Amino acid sequence: MSGTFVTLVAAEIERPSIDWHAIAPELILLGGGALVTVIDLIWLERVRKLIPTLTSLVFLVALIPVITLWADGSGLPRGLWIIDENVPATGVWEGAFVVDNYSLVLKGLFLLSAYVIVLLSTNYMSEGDYYDSEYYQLIAASVLGMLVMSSSRDLISIFVALELVSIPAYLMAAWRKRDLKSNEAGLKYMLMGVFASAILLYGMSLLYGIAGSTLLSDIAAAIDIGESRPVITLGIVFTIIGFGFKVSAVPFHTWAPDTYEGAPTPLTAFLAVASKAAGFVALINVVIVALPTQANVVEPFIWVLAAITMTVGNLIALRQTNLVRMLAYSGVAQAGYMLAPLAVYDGISDRATSAVVTYLVIYAAMNLGAFAVVIIAARKTRSAELSSYGGMFNYAPGLTLAMTIFLFSLAGIPPVGGWWAKFEVFRVLTEGNRTSGIALAVIAAVNSVIAAFYYLNIAKQMWFLPSPDGDNSRIAIPPALLAAVGLTVAATIVSGVLPGVVSDMTDFVNVAAGQ
Amino acid sequence: MMASLLTFAQETPVPLTSTEQWVINTFFYVIALVTVVAALKMVTTNNVVHAALYLLIVLAAVAAVYIILGAEFAAATQVLVYIGAIMVLLLFGVMLTRAKIGSEDDLNYDQRWLGGLVSVVLFAVMGYSLWEGFGETKLDPTFQPQRTGEVAESIFTQYIVPFEAVSVLLLAALIGAVVVARRD
Repeated sequence: MSGTFVTLVAAEIERPSIDWHAIAPELILLGGGALVTVIDLIWLERVRKLIPTLTSLVFLVALIPVITLWADGSGLPRGLWIIDENVPATGVWEGAFVVDNYSLVLKGLFLLSAYVIVLLSTNYMSEGDYYDSEYYQLIAASVLGMLVMSSSRDLISIFVALELVSIPAYLMAAWRKRDLKSNEAGLKYMLMGVFASAILLYGMSLLYGIAGSTLLSDIAAAIDIGESRPVITLGIVFTIIGFGFKVSAVPFHTWAPDTYEGAPTPLTAFLAVASKAAGFVALINVVIVALPTQANVVEPFIWVLAAITMTVGNLIALRQTNLVRMLAYSGVAQAGYMLAPLAVYDGISDRATSAVVTYLVIYAAMNLGAFAVVIIAARKTRSAELSSYGGMFNYAPGLTLAMTIFLFSLAGIPPVGGWWAKFEVFRVLTEGNRTSGIALAVIAAVNSVIAAFYYLNIAKQMWFLPSPDGDNSRIAIPPALLAAVGLTVAATIVSGVLPGVVSDMTDFVNVAAGQ
Repeated sequence: MMASLLTFAQETPVPLTSTEQWVINTFFYVIALVTVVAALKMVTTNNVVHAALYLLIVLAAVAAVYIILGAEFAAATQVLVYIGAIMVLLLFGVMLTRAKIGSEDDLNYDQRWLGGLVSVVLFAVMGYSLWEGFGETKLDPTFQPQRTGEVAESIFTQYIVPFEAVSVLLLAALIGAVVVARRD
């Protein structure tokens, strides 16, 4: 056995230096999250009030390197390691972690969404009898997973990041421990999520088996153009099904309504926006980077998913009387629109990626805003039933106006944000004049009309109908929630009136190439 | 088996002789048979504890397959995590909850024939594609077992980011589980 020991001693790793700037957002969030946990452990009740502020500060500080990396765009894309001539290029050092404009936009989106989520959670968590400091620690952990996800270009990183996003979310969904609905929410979400992870892993293991490498770029290189073998198809289908659960695409959406309704409402906003976006990022990374040559398998599959997701989501949303459930199903339908560009990505992968990310950014603003209004209204009405929104214009005109802006945006009515997101999707779908793209565009257009009906129905309730119990006392809006509504209203309006602001950021070049 | 363990210690790979290959192949088929039988018994038995013990056999057999493939680290992890931790957790779960220990008649699920159908279809699809995809692939006779050192190296080079992410994941799961499970 002596030979073994010799090789073990000799195998010293020559390591290139780490690009600390590139990984600074993750490191700040990691350190900040640890700091919050330790402070909470040491001072317990005395700092309980400070934890939300501290967590939101951590998110904002982590945003600084994202901005400096963006400003210093000269060297992009960059990886985790600074490769120089002294280190033998073995391929081990390249490609698994990529910081480019695409990942930076997403990191910015995740950090800002997380900031708004903390604003939404502050009063909800401190006023209910919950474990609130731990909640923020889990939010920070989940957001760290999202940041890692944005930069992951390798199967293992993507899987670990996805689990880091999901597992804290399973636990937080069950955070209202004394409510059976919340227990159900957490349990359902966990069981379905674990099931999805198992399918995803199986698909990934098949892709790895074909390529012999977990790097997405290696997988792309290992699968020839147009080559179609059952095992590749099975790997792709299982992987996409796994992501389908995470983004709540029909028929893998069954967990979403119950989980959204039972979970604490700020967490529902987190699931509907940030967690869903993370699933889309994983899907984009795998489809665009690893499977550029497999459009003949991926496109029809995603086409069907997108079409039934938007249709089923909208049709069920029509019948909901609970606003949170309605937003859950509308989120399912919106996921259908977001999937659509990936059904025609062949040859225009950069444009398709831009369309999906544009949609994710605008959707985050308008949906977080809608949830903010729901949370504020529930402080007075203690209910999320649609009828309880009657007469809101009489006692909360500003809030009604804000909600109307979000609803118009969700329905895609100009001039507020949503129309631009939909416009980008339609533009990608009709580009190239392919029958499949145009057919999907028609389906999406019909669905937009159906969706407008139930979105505007909420607005009608708020503006024209009397309040159900005749109670017209005003709602006291705490500053954190007011700030959340203000930020999201501003983002929704700006992205609609000046779409260039968003499209300049999401104008990606060569996402697939990475490093 | 012994041969493959011995090549581990040598610097230059020595191809396996045909007898050694035959032994390894036979060994694999025996393990595969044990796995399948234990897996079937696991879902058909009416006793929760027996099901757990059949699962133990399945997991141990998978560990043996890892050893044949020269993935000693994966095998050790399989034994430590699945047999060591998860099985104990499962048995504790049975013991601490009100689950009945012993044979139960109404343990069968009403829709088991539908489930059986689904699994047969899945088996056919996956079996066909795996056979078609990898049926002709042969293990390189000069292959070397993967050294645990190589695994460690790849964890701290290529997979350093997911490795750090997993540590956060474990901490978050710990904190969350305490909050959710705590009686208050």
